[in-house]
Amino acid sequence: MSIRLSTIWSWLALAVVLIWTLLPLYWFLKNSLLTPDEIARFPPPLYPLEPTPAAFFNIFGLDYEMADGIVRRGSGQANQIIRGLGNSLIVSAVVTVVTLFVVLPLAYVFARLDFPHKNKLLFAILLAVALPPVSTLIPFYAMYVRLGLSGTLVGLIIVTLTITIPFVTWMLIGYFRNLPQVERLARIDGFSRFETFLKIIVPQGRSGVAVAAVIAFLFSWNEYTYALMLVNGTTANTLPTAISGFLFQHPEPSHLAAAVALTMVPPALVAFFLQRHIAEMNLVDPVR
Amino acid sequence: MSRIQIDRLHKTFHRHVAVRDLDLTIENGELLVLLGPSGCGKTTTLNCIAGLETPTSGRVLFDDEDVTAASPHQRNIAMVFQSSLLYPHMTARQNIRTSLAKQKLDRAETDRRISEASSILGIEALLDKLPSQLSGGERQRVATAKAIVRQPTAFLLDEPLAALDAALRLTLRAELVNLQKRLGTTMIVVTHDQVEAMTMGDRIAVMNDGRLEQIGTPDEIYNRPATLFVAGFVGSPPMNLIEGEIVTQDGRTRFVSRDLTFEPKLAAGDAGPATLGIRPQHLHIHAEGRNGAVPVTVFAVEHLGRESVVILEDGGRNKLHALVEPGFAGRVGDRLHAAPDPTHCLLFDRAGSVLSHAAAE
Repeated sequence: MSIRLSTIWSWLALAVVLIWTLLPLYWFLKNSLLTPDEIARFPPPLYPLEPTPAAFFNIFGLDYEMADGIVRRGSGQANQIIRGLGNSLIVSAVVTVVTLFVVLPLAYVFARLDFPHKNKLLFAILLAVALPPVSTLIPFYAMYVRLGLSGTLVGLIIVTLTITIPFVTWMLIGYFRNLPQVERLARIDGFSRFETFLKIIVPQGRSGVAVAAVIAFLFSWNEYTYALMLVNGTTANTLPTAISGFLFQHPEPSHLAAAVALTMVPPALVAFFLQRHIAEMNLVDPVR
Repeated sequence: MSRIQIDRLHKTFHRHVAVRDLDLTIENGELLVLLGPSGCGKTTTLNCIAGLETPTSGRVLFDDEDVTAASPHQRNIAMVFQSSLLYPHMTARQNIRTSLAKQKLDRAETDRRISEASSILGIEALLDKLPSQLSGGERQRVATAKAIVRQPTAFLLDEPLAALDAALRLTLRAELVNLQKRLGTTMIVVTHDQVEAMTMGDRIAVMNDGRLEQIGTPDEIYNRPATLFVAGFVGSPPMNLIEGEIVTQDGRTRFVSRDLTFEPKLAAGDAGPATLGIRPQHLHIHAEGRNGAVPVTVFAVEHLGRESVVILEDGGRNKLHALVEPGFAGRVGDRLHAAPDPTHCLLFDRAGSVLSHAAAE
């Protein structure tokens, strides 16, 4: 037998991981294509016998006429979903851009320059990463109510940045440290420090920049805890909290499944286009 | 082109002294090699000349003009770094072009200079490749083209060949010297490889522990080392060093070691501990004992083809190297006698300064 035992084990492990991650995805994708009757059936169908995209129309408030003439009505949650989608896109885009602006120079400075108390500041960043969001929820809420920031997109953006900035900085420090030491070369060529950063380091580290962008985007796209507390039920509601609204309304599992599928689209696109950079990026412990 | 003077250069990092009060003049059009072991301050010196480091005290002058405070770019030097550092995300052409980014040349002149530099280095076919697609030697050539395209006042090379394999080093060091002589531009090369220093330098400055030990032509450095450090550092196989003492007795000065007595021409008053230095080619092997010969045992024989190196062990278990004819028939364990040629013996005092150049007298 030429197949080695270790090969079998790795295939087995891979299979477990794939089932673990893909089965739930499959299940709700399947549910999003079923009619309420089919979902209610027991035992549940393992695959959609007559897949219908009705739920995807309904969650945007559109009626859908089935082949047999039955009209499935648009969801009452549609406004929430549409607004949530818009808000989520705005928050994620702004958070991503601001995070990059702050994090790229910050991580670069930590990676390449020496200054007093550098390690203490590094650990301060690590501490910020280690802090669970829930622990700062109540102080933030109290502050936001007084500042009039609760229920606003600006407030949500600020609070999301407190997570993305330390986390992405921490990731990028190791990456920048591993880039070739071309600063002296750039000085010989007559570039200032800032020019070197902008024209040499950032283009050279575009994989790191891309990954930083992905992480910041996914983080704010998926952010639920703060959104639930600070913006849920207001006009600044985001998609994850809007979807959770389905749980408390008239139960319509196919709508819930379709809405969840919708939230997967942007992260999937981002991951698809940037996966090469993620693979290239070599994460290293920033404290050595 | 430029004459470079270093005037009492001193550089400390925190409490560590990298360069101590260094005075050095590099003549216009000269190729000077800064030679020394790692940590001796040679790269720091080069960085101070380049303007990448600011001296703690002292001055750097280009053609009598003080440039100590000037940026690398204002000094118009070109530098090739260890392992031929290039911008990894740019093609060879873009790398070379970046050298001229701040020169305010028009496009035609930039292109002309790039094609001229690449034809000098023979890298026309490589211009559109990324550094990662180039071999070590090709990267070195691109780095050199990037340096010469600016028509700098001086080339500064920091261990330019260190990362290359031996055969390529041999080719490229000859190319570098040839290029420097054709362009006539002042060049300073930092290396820890004494063979590279000997073959490339018009003059060699040997540094140790932040100090200049000796500066001179390769011939002077090899044949008339000023200090014990230079004597031991330069030459392969290394110079044999025999510990002993200078004693004055009956009005005659003699060097006495464990196995050897030798009568050098020295002024009286040099008495004290001393070291005798003798190059391997001046240590002659004899089968029979004789006056002025050290009894030794063969430890190893290394055949190099044109000659052989015999490594010998004296009574004190010190290793001595001798160059012999390729037909040398000795075997490990053989008992022989090694006699230093008295006309080529060097004596160093306790502090390591040379006392006599026997050969010169």
